[in-house]
Amino acid sequence: MKRYLLLFLSVSLLISSCKETNPSGPDPDDFDRKAILENWADNIIIPALTNFSEKTESLKTAGNNFAENPGQKALESLRDEWKAGYLALQHVSMFETPKTMEIRFRNNLNIYPVDTAEVKENIGQGDYNLNLPSEIDQQGFPALDYLLYGLAESDTEILAFYNSGNEASAYKEYVLDLVTRIDSLTDVVLNDWNSGYRDEFINNSGNGANSSIDMMVNDYIFYYEKNLRAGKIGIPAGVFSGTPLPQNVEGVYSREFSKELFLESLTATQNFFNGKHFNSETTGLSLSDYLDFLNTIKNGTDLTQLINQQFEESRIKAQNLNSSFTDQIETDNSLMLQTYDELQKNVILLKVDMLQALNINVDYVDADGD
Amino acid sequence: MNLSKSLLIIAAFIFTISCDTNNTNDEIATPESYEFTRDGQSTVSFSGQTTRIKMATELSVAMTDFDNSTEELLLEMYRNQTANGGDANPYSDPDLNAATKSVKSKVAASTDFYSSNTATSVELKNQFETWISAQVNEVFPNQNVEAQPGIAGQIADGTSTRYVSAKGFEYNQMLAKGLIGALMTDQILNNYVSVSVLDAGTNVEDNNNEVVVDGTAYTNMEHNWDEAFGYLYGNSSNTANPNLTIGQDDSFLNAYVGSVESDEDFAGIAQIIFDAFALGRAAIVEGDYELRDEQAEILRTQISTIIGIRAVYYLQLGKTVLEQANPDFGTAFSDLSEGFGFVYSLQFTRQPGTGQPYFTKAEVDGFISLLEAGNGLWDVTPQTLQDISVDIASKFNFTIEEASN
Repeated sequence: MKRYLLLFLSVSLLISSCKETNPSGPDPDDFDRKAILENWADNIIIPALTNFSEKTESLKTAGNNFAENPGQKALESLRDEWKAGYLALQHVSMFETPKTMEIRFRNNLNIYPVDTAEVKENIGQGDYNLNLPSEIDQQGFPALDYLLYGLAESDTEILAFYNSGNEASAYKEYVLDLVTRIDSLTDVVLNDWNSGYRDEFINNSGNGANSSIDMMVNDYIFYYEKNLRAGKIGIPAGVFSGTPLPQNVEGVYSREFSKELFLESLTATQNFFNGKHFNSETTGLSLSDYLDFLNTIKNGTDLTQLINQQFEESRIKAQNLNSSFTDQIETDNSLMLQTYDELQKNVILLKVDMLQALNINVDYVDADGD
Repeated sequence: MNLSKSLLIIAAFIFTISCDTNNTNDEIATPESYEFTRDGQSTVSFSGQTTRIKMATELSVAMTDFDNSTEELLLEMYRNQTANGGDANPYSDPDLNAATKSVKSKVAASTDFYSSNTATSVELKNQFETWISAQVNEVFPNQNVEAQPGIAGQIADGTSTRYVSAKGFEYNQMLAKGLIGALMTDQILNNYVSVSVLDAGTNVEDNNNEVVVDGTAYTNMEHNWDEAFGYLYGNSSNTANPNLTIGQDDSFLNAYVGSVESDEDFAGIAQIIFDAFALGRAAIVEGDYELRDEQAEILRTQISTIIGIRAVYYLQLGKTVLEQANPDFGTAFSDLSEGFGFVYSLQFTRQPGTGQPYFTKAEVDGFISLLEAGNGLWDVTPQTLQDISVDIASKFNFTIEEASN
């Protein structure tokens, strides 16, 4: 069974009770939407993707070096590239295009928890096909996390998997397949942007359900709600299951990395909202400017300000968390839940108040899992 | 609450009032819980229905157990018999293996619809075996193949993986949702609340004189009504007050009464259904068969409506996905496979006051041929899904908007 999140009715009810925008205020259609799209494509998305593709290229090189000579030094260098790539991924993961949906980019790169039993079976039997939807949890950054950190307690024991025993070459081959696939999928997405999609994206500047702004904003909020709020915090903290699931943390095997990944993602989503150029202090047009143009006020306060404040509240709350969310959940899960609550407040501001002001409908469905 | 829903309740209310005045039975109140006793012993029994719900649950789960299921095992779960009619033990629950009942024997097996229409009954019973065999012979071998038009295999539904036929259907969903009509709805509406069953043989005389079935505390008629009740609530953790957990007690009719109840357009329908069961049972205890039959008609209206609403709901879900610029076909196919099962189930509904379903088998077959044409769900258009939705909704007291939001 599936349930729809197309809650036009409840959304509009909520709005009518809490929003105070003057109905005779500026018209969303008068804003230069194309200028936003240009800023997103040229100063945020394509630079972030270019950066990520450089990181996946380095990751592939480090993977090759490791496969050729799997020693301590090569392992550490591969881990470094994995971390750098995983952080860079947080700046591109939210952006969907027809191409990313076709190749299921995000799901192939970052579905966690990794299915370690299937990974081992793939390595042992060699008959895997990473293109299959059923194998999304056996590849990408989470599978590398397991293979580089989680096979055993000590580095010596981990390296033994790649150096001795009759499966050593299969282990090396699997690492190679993973880094190669991450890099080639990324190239597909970047090449698509660079070979025509950028213009298509910018020129689709209308305001229908299939316009670039409507679709990108939906994908952005979907990412914020499902991947950032739920995936990184809510699910491992047990918000949906009732029982904490510390093994479902992003980067669980590297142990020290989950908070950094989360904060990077939080920053990336806030930067997108404010139109901040990738890897720069400059800002350009984005949702914040669009809301300001419409003079969107909620309970007497500027909505842009409220949303940015809420990003800050979430960040402040998260500062108290252990660098390993697994450790945090196992010692004091309440801090995780408090962080989740702060993140949730921005779901309301973004998904209800902002979408109403921008006259955008929620277009995604929520799978309830049967 | 919307208008048509209010009208429905008002209509039900007026209906009750008028029957009360006609029949001087205004002392029969609707029991708040489904508990009836004789000489201190409970007279309520529906263990056979609980057993069949559990058998259907195991079968439906085993349909996608690629590692352990075989065609033989799945067919044995459906028949509770070996291929040559011997005793089978296909279930993980030993109580089910010990039972002599089966799912198949009660599929398309109601007295009103199929006792003199055995050719159709056999055809419908065998349809489920066709889906079971196709799952094993068509889908299982392609477990690790990417599905394409004309090729069975797996397809992504968000982060889930669906396993579909060459035409894009999930046989496991068709089977599970098809049983809601062919087993539960048919047995309730066209068998156990029917006059032909309730008043069969010496049932009326026995019930009037409280002649109980040997070794039990209940009369035949009481038991028949309870068996109808059991097909909806038989797996409930609280069978006296099953609405406390409605929707959570199985993945068949109970699940979808719960789903419809949670749609604010239809809130209250679970209580209407329960009340009809409870008052009908109380009427049997009091020997008021007119009141009993009025409750049967309420059940026919409301349970048929559940099937209709869910058919439209899933067709509309699939339609909305297919209308997107980059449709997630796996999501649409899963929705439409469930929708297919509910459309199939429409032929087991019952229009009150008639001997007819809301949609005949021929009409249902017409809908199905539209869904299966060409490469099936790979080809079906949003317009076709809309047309079928309009046809279905037009026979019921709900709108497409109410069913789909």
